[in-house]
Amino acid sequence: MTRDGPDNEHPPPRGTPGWGQFIGDVGRRALEFGRLVRENVELLGLTLRYMVNGRRRRGRIAEQMYDIGNRSMLFIAVTLGFLGMILIFQAGYQAERITGDLQMLGPLFLQLLFREFGPTITALMVATRGGTGMAAQLGTMVVTEQIDALRMSAAQPVDYLVVPRFLASAVMLPVLTVFGILVSFAAGAVTANLAFNVNYYTFVDIGMIESFDIVIGSVKAIAYGLVIPIVACHAGLSVSGGSAGVGRATTDAVVRCSLSVVFLDFLISGIGYVFMAL
Amino acid sequence: MGRIEFRDIYKSFGANTVLRGVDLQVDAGSVHYIIGQSGAGKSVLVKHLIGLERPDQGRVFVDGEDVTRLSERELYPLRKRCAMVFQHATLFDSMSLLDNVALPIRKHQKVDEERARELAARELERVDMEEYADRYPADFGDGMRKKVAIARALTLDPEFVIFDEPTTGLDPPSADMVDELIRDLSDDLGVTSIVISHDLRSTFRVADRIAMLYKGELRLKGTPETFRQTDDPVVRQFIEGSPDGPMEEPDG
Repeated sequence: MTRDGPDNEHPPPRGTPGWGQFIGDVGRRALEFGRLVRENVELLGLTLRYMVNGRRRRGRIAEQMYDIGNRSMLFIAVTLGFLGMILIFQAGYQAERITGDLQMLGPLFLQLLFREFGPTITALMVATRGGTGMAAQLGTMVVTEQIDALRMSAAQPVDYLVVPRFLASAVMLPVLTVFGILVSFAAGAVTANLAFNVNYYTFVDIGMIESFDIVIGSVKAIAYGLVIPIVACHAGLSVSGGSAGVGRATTDAVVRCSLSVVFLDFLISGIGYVFMAL
Repeated sequence: MGRIEFRDIYKSFGANTVLRGVDLQVDAGSVHYIIGQSGAGKSVLVKHLIGLERPDQGRVFVDGEDVTRLSERELYPLRKRCAMVFQHATLFDSMSLLDNVALPIRKHQKVDEERARELAARELERVDMEEYADRYPADFGDGMRKKVAIARALTLDPEFVIFDEPTTGLDPPSADMVDELIRDLSDDLGVTSIVISHDLRSTFRVADRIAMLYKGELRLKGTPETFRQTDDPVVRQFIEGSPDGPMEEPDG
């Protein structure tokens, strides 16, 4: 409803966002972030507890390994294969312009794959495919009250649903990483041969791979494999608000899993290089 | 045995406050209906009884015992005494109807396989689903799945049963059958039933007492007669199903 008069000619100034509001927003987000971290750590603790005390569900673990592993293979092969081709083409092009020496292209690329791209890109792909799947499955179970039904039957949702996904992911992520490295390296070798006439024997040189590269790549792959199911399952189990909530949970899962992977990558690389320097 | 008391229950999900100080007593062996708009907090309230939700403030007592602070493991004995028929009829799709009903028997009773199937078939007969015993949940609509979920909930002879919209999606004869079943459980076996419902015909036919939640608060509680005679405009609008009146959409 509107009315004429002096009040409308000179309306009171609207509240503009000031420092107070900004600090309030930052504080709210910091508290929210703190709550998320605490809940994820609690879920990890519960999962580890049920891994020790819970029931062995080999069938469910195998089912999840198939879902996370086998069903991601094509996706990872395509992504890492193309990435290998692009990287080798760009690196080869630059190297040819500057030095003209392409002998180190393969060994350096392999080192990069072991240390960085193999585990990290594989994990981002698993987060995109597997993480969203976990969040959607568990979120749907929440909104259709199947989680409540499990709890009513004295079955623990963490034991029944999270532990098999956690174990399957911890095993399959290192396996997928090795697969991704092989595919990417092979694609890179073919590209180097076709685009720059680099001999396959020259390209496939593992002389630069040290134990440090293998250790840091393995630690990253295992760490990502442990974190992705926890973050994704937490997003799924925290769903509220019906089917719209499931949609939000899948988005949250992929965002949080990807950020966790990037953060862990930074952390593990940092710690690794500090150790290497000592 | 079977008296339930909700005392001053508050519950929020994030910024959305669902329950605001709800007090409700349910007498042992009675049939207590909880009515109200969708989103009024009915399901959330009853889930506090079996620890599926924890109140932000307030207590829930079952036979005088405070169940609010029990751990998940400490809640198991209470959950064994209580059955819940969920709104979504949560059946396991990979099992036949008979196996779905036999599941709690196999899990909690020491009987052989033949006896478990016999008991499960008897429960299916109670809800007129015995002829479909070997079919799978995916073959049926929500209504028939709900009847099987009711049969499964009753297999362990619970002391309390929570029915979340038991007649929603059922044809009128099936709804009548479920109403009779709820009434008989109370009259013949002394089971305490809490029924969440939008089906006012069933509510007024079966309920011993009714409570209405509105915007997270208890608006009115009493016998069906109390509700028929009330002049509260919100309650009147709800039970008359009128689109015009003071009732507002629920928050959140």
